[in-house]
Amino acid sequence: MDVLIQLVLNGILLGSMYAIISVGLTLIFGIVRVVNFAHGEFLMVGMYAAYLLAAKFGLHPYAAAVPIVILLFAIGAAVQRFLIQPLLGAEEHIQIFATVGLSTALVNLALLVFGADLYSIPPSAAQGSVMVGGFSLVKGQLVMFVCALALVAGLHLFMQSTALGRAIRATAQNRNAALLMGVKVDQIYVIAFGIGAGCVGLAAALVMPLYPVTPTIGTYFVLTAFVVVVLGGMRSMYGAFFGAMIIGLVDSLSGYYIAPDLKEVVYFALFLAILIFKPTGLFGLGRGTE
Amino acid sequence: MKLFARAAIAAAMLAAVPLAATQPAAAQGTVKFGALYPFSGTLALLGDESFRGFELAVEERNAAGGLNGQKIEFIKGDAVDPNQAVGEARRLTSVDKVSAIFGTYSSSLSLAATQVTELANIPYFELGAISDPITERGFKYVFRTNATARDFANRMVDSIIEAIAPALNTKPGDLKIGIIHEDSLYGQTVSGYQKARAKEKGLNVVEVLPYSAKSVDLTPVILRLKSAGADVVLQTSYQNDTVLFFRQMKDQGYKPKAVMGAGGGYSTRDTMQAVGAENMEGALDVDFTQYNTNPKAAPGITEFAAKYKAKYGIDPRSGHSLANYMGAKVFFDAIASAKSTDADKVRAAVLAVDIPVGQTATGWGAKFSEQGQNTRAVPFLMQWQGGNLVTVFPTDAAVAKMKTGIGAN
Repeated sequence: MDVLIQLVLNGILLGSMYAIISVGLTLIFGIVRVVNFAHGEFLMVGMYAAYLLAAKFGLHPYAAAVPIVILLFAIGAAVQRFLIQPLLGAEEHIQIFATVGLSTALVNLALLVFGADLYSIPPSAAQGSVMVGGFSLVKGQLVMFVCALALVAGLHLFMQSTALGRAIRATAQNRNAALLMGVKVDQIYVIAFGIGAGCVGLAAALVMPLYPVTPTIGTYFVLTAFVVVVLGGMRSMYGAFFGAMIIGLVDSLSGYYIAPDLKEVVYFALFLAILIFKPTGLFGLGRGTE
Repeated sequence: MKLFARAAIAAAMLAAVPLAATQPAAAQGTVKFGALYPFSGTLALLGDESFRGFELAVEERNAAGGLNGQKIEFIKGDAVDPNQAVGEARRLTSVDKVSAIFGTYSSSLSLAATQVTELANIPYFELGAISDPITERGFKYVFRTNATARDFANRMVDSIIEAIAPALNTKPGDLKIGIIHEDSLYGQTVSGYQKARAKEKGLNVVEVLPYSAKSVDLTPVILRLKSAGADVVLQTSYQNDTVLFFRQMKDQGYKPKAVMGAGGGYSTRDTMQAVGAENMEGALDVDFTQYNTNPKAAPGITEFAAKYKAKYGIDPRSGHSLANYMGAKVFFDAIASAKSTDADKVRAAVLAVDIPVGQTATGWGAKFSEQGQNTRAVPFLMQWQGGNLVTVFPTDAAVAKMKTGIGAN
């Protein structure tokens, strides 16, 4: 029983990490309608930035979150402006190839600059764990849990109650109608891509104390992030959040009760079942919106 | 602006393409060898470290007059992946016409390149790749000085019986053993040998848990080990999963009596720094000979480290350079005694090599089987103590006493 509770707690905390990584991907997909295969590499860039800020300026990643989010916003906006925008008229698979190419280029750039070594920041309090009623909770993961909730709530407020948020939602709903209403759609796309990348920048700052960074670290997380996004109904932020929780729980429980190397089998089987029985995802808006 | 952006992206991508490093063609009165290592790409760090050992062996030999009066000249081949290993091996054998190739650090590269040299009847000297099949395919001209994956696995299991059980004052059969490993070919192979050896020796294996090396959460693995009450954990892993395992083991308050790993995932300083010296304290590691080894059991090890530092300005980054240095020296001596680079004469000379254990810089001996495998290469047992990796077993090579437990406690 104790083990079960520990696994559930662990699954929820793991889920919040998947959530904070996936929210940006959902935003980019939902608004810009581009499947960003370089998402994991954005995380990697953010983590190297966190490492450099910690190593050169002694900045704790939590404090470094602000410059990293700004940096990733700039990178995301630049990618949209100079890579995706010229291809918006082209077929969808061309955009996919562009992001795949970007991902390969970023991995190799990191190899060139940092080599294949792993870098980690000096141990900090975030790595420790607290005991609550006999169960161990990692502090860094608790921070992630709180931040994931705050991020989703913050984005909700932003989308619902600001003019820019309304413009973004309008663009996501119907690009042409928004254009006719005087929304500068191209600018909205640049901003939305930037926000999506900024979210993964926040994730990078939170992940850095717990995981060392290597050029291929993105591939550790990105497949799960895609599953979470589809599970959550592709465009729904809230869906992504709950999808992440489900994957976290499945990950934790099946790793213990079935086998650690089979946990992916379990959650991909679940994923397929959901796609078959509810193709728009758990929180999708119904057919035609995916 | 658009054009500029595209040009910039194209330039960035071109810059990421690794360029093969080559040396000028050979002069007369020299003997030419190929040095086939991954000099770029993901394997470059330890590939280059391996090459440095070979380079130092060549310099030492040339300073002492070369091979039978001829200077050794080597031509580099950059093997980033198995395809390129084949391509570079072809270039070295047919265009540069080298007399032998030395390499390779990575097993998949070695397996690919040796097929080319075997067909060309050119000796291939493997100094660092550990996959067993390299010298199990019945090739005539492939020789290897270093220990294989099976030797590593056997040493790990035997260490439980010969070192850990005595230190804990228990019978080996009373210890509960957990075997965990990443689930690619590397982990599968080593853990397979471990299971076989543990069964043969009558040890009590309570859990065998494979996991993906890309796993971001090993808590389920740790809780399984904890529930099973595993006293000794054998892990076969890369760097990331080693770091994750140690961090999460601490988070979950799991303290086995001993944790033992092998190779890159356990030996590098990066791993220790990422885990933290105090958490890595007591972790056991089976690997190529490292530098904190008793020089009495490995004559020349101190001199090698000094030469390395004099040439490259830093301390050796891992034991790979030492293993390659030792192997290259053994084969240079064999070629010298063959008085020829003819493949059959070299083979006869290599098979005649007979160096007892404890007389080379790695502490290994050299005696080759018909298959070309060195049967006297023994990996040592090392332990992280106070942020340093020190040899603790066998006793004559040890520089410190083994302790039990994991983490500073």
